[in-house]
Amino acid sequence: MSEDKRKNDIDEGQDDGTTKESRRDFLKKMGVAAAVTTVAPAATAATTKAASIAEHLQTHFEMMSDSQKEAAIARLEKRYSEQFEKQVTVANTPAPDEVLFGYALNISKCIGCRRCVEACVRENNQSRDPAIQWIRVLQMERGNDTFELENWHKGSPSSSRIGDYGVQSGGHADKAVGISGHTDHYYEPEQVPEENAFYFPVQCQQCEDPACVRACPVQATYRDPNGIVVIDYNWCIGCRMCQLACPYWARRFNWSEPALPNEEMNPKTHYLGNRPRMRGVMEKCTFCLQRVRDGRYPACVEACPVGARKFGNLLDPESEVRKILATKKVFRFKEDFNTEPKFFYYMD
Amino acid sequence: MISPKKYVRATVFYGFFAVVTSGLVLQDMPSQATTPEDKSGAKECYESIKGATELVKKDNVVPKYGYPNVKCSPTTGAVLWYGDPYDDTEPMGDMPTFGDHTDGDFAQAVIRTRTKHLKTIIQNGTKCSGCHPAADATTQKNDPRELMMHQDIVSNATKLQHGRGAIWCFDCHNAANRDTLVDHKGQEISLNEPYKLCGSCHGVTYSEWRMGLHGKRTGEWRVGGKKRWWTCTECHNPHTVQEHRFQPIAPELPPALPRGMTKDDFKGASGHGGH
Ligand code: HEC
Ligand code: HEC
Ligand code: HEC
Ligand code: HEC
Repeated sequence: MSEDKRKNDIDEGQDDGTTKESRRDFLKKMGVAAAVTTVAPAATAATTKAASIAEHLQTHFEMMSDSQKEAAIARLEKRYSEQFEKQVTVANTPAPDEVLFGYALNISKCIGCRRCVEACVRENNQSRDPAIQWIRVLQMERGNDTFELENWHKGSPSSSRIGDYGVQSGGHADKAVGISGHTDHYYEPEQVPEENAFYFPVQCQQCEDPACVRACPVQATYRDPNGIVVIDYNWCIGCRMCQLACPYWARRFNWSEPALPNEEMNPKTHYLGNRPRMRGVMEKCTFCLQRVRDGRYPACVEACPVGARKFGNLLDPESEVRKILATKKVFRFKEDFNTEPKFFYYMD
Repeated sequence: MISPKKYVRATVFYGFFAVVTSGLVLQDMPSQATTPEDKSGAKECYESIKGATELVKKDNVVPKYGYPNVKCSPTTGAVLWYGDPYDDTEPMGDMPTFGDHTDGDFAQAVIRTRTKHLKTIIQNGTKCSGCHPAADATTQKNDPRELMMHQDIVSNATKLQHGRGAIWCFDCHNAANRDTLVDHKGQEISLNEPYKLCGSCHGVTYSEWRMGLHGKRTGEWRVGGKKRWWTCTECHNPHTVQEHRFQPIAPELPPALPRGMTKDDFKGASGHGGH
């Protein structure tokens, strides 16, 4: 490590004293439970490529000076490149101006093929074992009363058919809160679509008023200038408050050290996007931040064989999403939570 | 995929046909190496219609990141991810302007050509006109009947599965030049620009496609950015749309079940049962 970088590391500790203090205070208040989770990445670091002390001590990404960011990124690039045995880039491409990202998904076209799920995993460097996926496709029966207003709040864990586990308030593996009737993630027919089924893919809804951001005690997750909710994985303490707060079951936690084979690792990463995560941190869909800040469509949009997924700038009236909002029957998932998603579902 | 039986039938017929007409042009046709379907490696992949949107995975197409052109599913062979969304594309060329809201930005639009994917051409090693000389054009008219050929494309030509009996081959295929399509105004259309044909009858869908709402575009999300436009026949088989508007496909694997649970735990509680 160069002289320069070491100096930056020391600087961090000094000029960001305030933020650091509040984070430490919080840790003290959280007590042992949180502390254990926090320490976990450090404790296991030896099994993979060790994250340097400097990495553990760095401040919140948005609080860093440019030179601190450069140093942090150089550290990461070095660590990832060694770990995955190829040249890995960690970009810090800024958010484009005058852009508010929005997404529209046509549920009358979706056939439930799960190519979006797999595309996402290939793009975003999720752990393959245990397998982490950011998109879930729910299969539902056509013509049931799923979207009837009176059923909107049914399906919370306590009324679950698999028993009262009463743990999560934000939905669980079988069904998210607000969905009633028969839903299934695990359908496995020879071919899709199946008769009498429709499909409802769920991923991070990129809320304008995100419950997860409010819940995060250390502001490790926040809304970027384009409206994407991002996570500074290095700042995340792994308390999982955001996961509990999210009504869409969109967040995933790295309970163990993520396993990502070298040859499958996508070496084009962004600090706030698809760079490899460590054990003990949260992750979720970022609209493929590393791609969209570079001008590319998200991977799930490109993978969808039926063209059900549309993406663009909500501030541009000529964009696909704006034209959909103007001409189609559009709804947002669990609108009454007032989280103001920028993820729209629509029908032809 | 064409069934072996039909393939034999077509080949036998073709042999017969070749003797009869003896005016065939066999040279400079794209010959496809018969790579056996490699499922595990997923080198041979397809996009939306199995049998009509095949492509081959190429390594290191984007050297900077070591990206292949595509990444395909080891279980289904579906193309899942694009290292280079413009690989193997060509400029879309002229789009007629309508002077309305559908006059989008086509300047940077690219498409993948269809003629490379037509199995009739690939298997017979000749263009359509090789068997259908323009001289025959005068005798060609829409007269729904059984055909001695193309059963692999149209299984029963007396019941064409497009248009509910209202249209037949020559509403789309050009009798005067079988290598092209033709719309109802007699306008000749390249096989690589099927949207111009489909658009002449499906006006509403066509304008939605021009706006980017119907179908799909890959590449840059910005309005006016470089995009690959997916053409109609990359998603619709024009000879079977009545059977399936969109041909069903094999899904990717389901997610892993939560620890300690079986699929039965997730069958419908309301007594509907799972699927
Ligand atoms: C190997 C020779 C061969 C090739 C190559 C071939 N065809 Fe044909 N085609 C035939 C024969 C034989 C018939 C049947 C004529 C009949 O039964 O009256 C036929 C029938 C047709 C018909 C039904 C209308 C008619 O009576 O002509 C259409 C439309 C057609 N072909 C289109 C095409 C197109 C488009 C291509 C190129 C993609 C093509 N054909 C390539 C041999 C061929
Ligand atoms: C609705 C318009 C339409 C009608 C009607 C139609 N075709 Fe086609 N046909 C097309 C188009 C468009 C293509 C190019 C398909 C592509 O791009 O994959 C095509 C392709 C073909 C091919 C080559 C297919 C391949 O994959 O090699 C044959 C053969 C053919 N048509 C025969 C026929 C015959 C025979 C009929 C009548 C029974 C017919 N078509 C009716 C639009 C039509
Ligand atoms: C000559 C006019 C004509 C042309 C050209 C044409 N179609 Fe059609 N198409 C029809 C008619 C008529 C129907 C039947 C509509 C109905 O049943 O309501 C139809 C039905 C369809 C359907 C099924 C829609 C439904 O409501 O079930 C699809 C998909 C379709 N066409 C796609 C295409 C594509 C893709 C092309 C270009 C390759 C094309 N069509 C070209 C006339 C045409
Ligand atoms: C990316 C794939 C894709 C492309 C490209 C595409 N379509 Fe479709 N289209 C679909 C799907 C999926 C449906 C819905 C099928 C269903 O309802 O089962 C559909 C439905 C249709 C229908 C039925 C009526 C409707 O609007 O829903 C028509 C007609 C049609 N398409 C015509 C076209 C034409 C014409 C083009 C080219 C200009 C085109 N499609 C391009 C995927 C595509």
